[in-house]
Amino acid sequence: MHRILRINGLLLAVLAVLFWIGSAGASEAPVTLKLSHPTLKITTFYDGTTVNVSGTLPASDDILLHVIGAKKNVALKVKGKVAGLLWMNKTDVELENTPAVYMVYTPEKIGKDLLLAQLEGKYKAMVKDVALLGVGYKALVKDIAIKPESADKKFVFGEYVKLMEKAGVYGVYDGAVNYGPVEGKTKSFSATLIIPPKMTAGKYLVEAVAVRDGKPVGRARETLTIELSGLPKIIASLAYEHSLLFGIMAVAIAVATGLLIGVLFKGGGGAH
Amino acid sequence: MFHMYLPIAGNSVNIILILGLGGFVGLLSGIFGVGGGFLMTPLLMMFGIPPTVAAASDSNQIVGASTSGTLAHMRLGNVDIPMGLMLLIGGIAGGTVGVQVIKLLRAMGNADFLIAITYVIMLGGVGGYMFWESLQGMRHQDGLPVEKKKSKKKEAEKEEKKSLVQSLPFQYKFVKSGCEISMLLPLGFGILVGILAAIMGVGGGFIMVPVMVYLLRMPMHVVVGTSLFQILFTCVNVTIMQAWSNHTVDFVLAVLLLLGSTIGAQVGTAVSKRLNADQLKIMLASLVLLVCVKMMAGLLMTPSIMVALKGGH
Repeated sequence: MHRILRINGLLLAVLAVLFWIGSAGASEAPVTLKLSHPTLKITTFYDGTTVNVSGTLPASDDILLHVIGAKKNVALKVKGKVAGLLWMNKTDVELENTPAVYMVYTPEKIGKDLLLAQLEGKYKAMVKDVALLGVGYKALVKDIAIKPESADKKFVFGEYVKLMEKAGVYGVYDGAVNYGPVEGKTKSFSATLIIPPKMTAGKYLVEAVAVRDGKPVGRARETLTIELSGLPKIIASLAYEHSLLFGIMAVAIAVATGLLIGVLFKGGGGAH
Repeated sequence: MFHMYLPIAGNSVNIILILGLGGFVGLLSGIFGVGGGFLMTPLLMMFGIPPTVAAASDSNQIVGASTSGTLAHMRLGNVDIPMGLMLLIGGIAGGTVGVQVIKLLRAMGNADFLIAITYVIMLGGVGGYMFWESLQGMRHQDGLPVEKKKSKKKEAEKEEKKSLVQSLPFQYKFVKSGCEISMLLPLGFGILVGILAAIMGVGGGFIMVPVMVYLLRMPMHVVVGTSLFQILFTCVNVTIMQAWSNHTVDFVLAVLLLLGSTIGAQVGTAVSKRLNADQLKIMLASLVLLVCVKMMAGLLMTPSIMVALKGGH
């Protein structure tokens, strides 16, 4: 009995040492992530921008980057035919817990295959569960609920993705992540994130997911903040906090501009 | 380069493009006396402005454009203020009724379909009639034969209508328009246009102009000035209400549109003086028919994306 206990104790000690070695090995090359500009300011002549991201990961792994906006419920109209002839906005549906912005950046060469949105090619066998990585549209749709439940979630979300891609706030950028040279057990990566002007003021999560054999092995997160500044900030605060005054002011300026132009044209004799 | 951020629309726009759009719509406003809402809102939406912001900011720019246009037409003696006031009062009352009609239609669940069908029928009907009538007028001017029997019959119908109109109470002499009719007539038409404008979500200038030309028989140049006068006050009301209750007036967008449209309106007024009434009518008719055809095509062709964000028409 004593001997059995002693063997078990030894086994546990060996396992503990092995686990320590394993975790120590993993901590040798953790995933790191850095944004060139963690805070962006929207000024008068802002037309979107780019943010450089860089970081490190274990040398043998791949990296996926995604940018996620605040999640909200989105009210949509599904188009359908009326009287078998005319296309109209017909049915009301609501997608719950849907990010306002979603962009995925995949590494060079590997791109689409690794993304798992379309699980074809050599990586199909490698990845057992599409949602396991938590990256890509297929993973995203798992967290989204639809109302009414009878609606076709896959179809509606697919069409919503098309709509958002057209607006520039959803996107998959294959081959957009570049790797640097391997240094010991790590390698560096870098990418340029596209920030379209339609990404409104708010906080966005930027996440880097290290992938090995189709499974996530490490993650690093950073927050990207977009703020209104200068004239856009003043106008937004007037419009939302002093809305009646803002309306009267808008009318007064419009009338004044109209009168001024009218007088100018008369003075110049251009119109008459 | 040349971009400006719109904080309420939540997007940036090309300054040159918006100035150009404003100028084009201002030109139409000056020539035809229409606000251009039926054209401007879809154009702004095409450039990524949310529908509600596009419509409200457009109202704001129309205030400026119609101020400039009204002023120019006033100098030319083209504004019938009593007629404009009657149409305005009717328009505001009709608009209030129209908003309730929309609420009812939405509750019934088929509002969008009815809105689109109203658009196509109104645009097609108004545009088609104006086009045909102007064509007849131009043929007549060119000395081409016009069926005499038909015109005699028409004259008789006209006389019958005239006596009916003269029997209405509250007769008033609208000097500038050159007619003596009941005040109830423009008030009634104002209500009708107000209802339609609210259902269709536009200022209603493109319905008001044909009403004044064909039903009130006002001279074309007085129609344009009076329509602008009426539109000015309607849009002042809409801008303040939209900014106050919906926060959808984008000031920067409105100012950019304004700069283009106020200049366009002045040019348009000058152009309108050089064109004759039939030329003006046929141009407006072509424009209305073009929008009608575009809408019809949108209804018949399979959409590339099968969902749309809710809110706005």
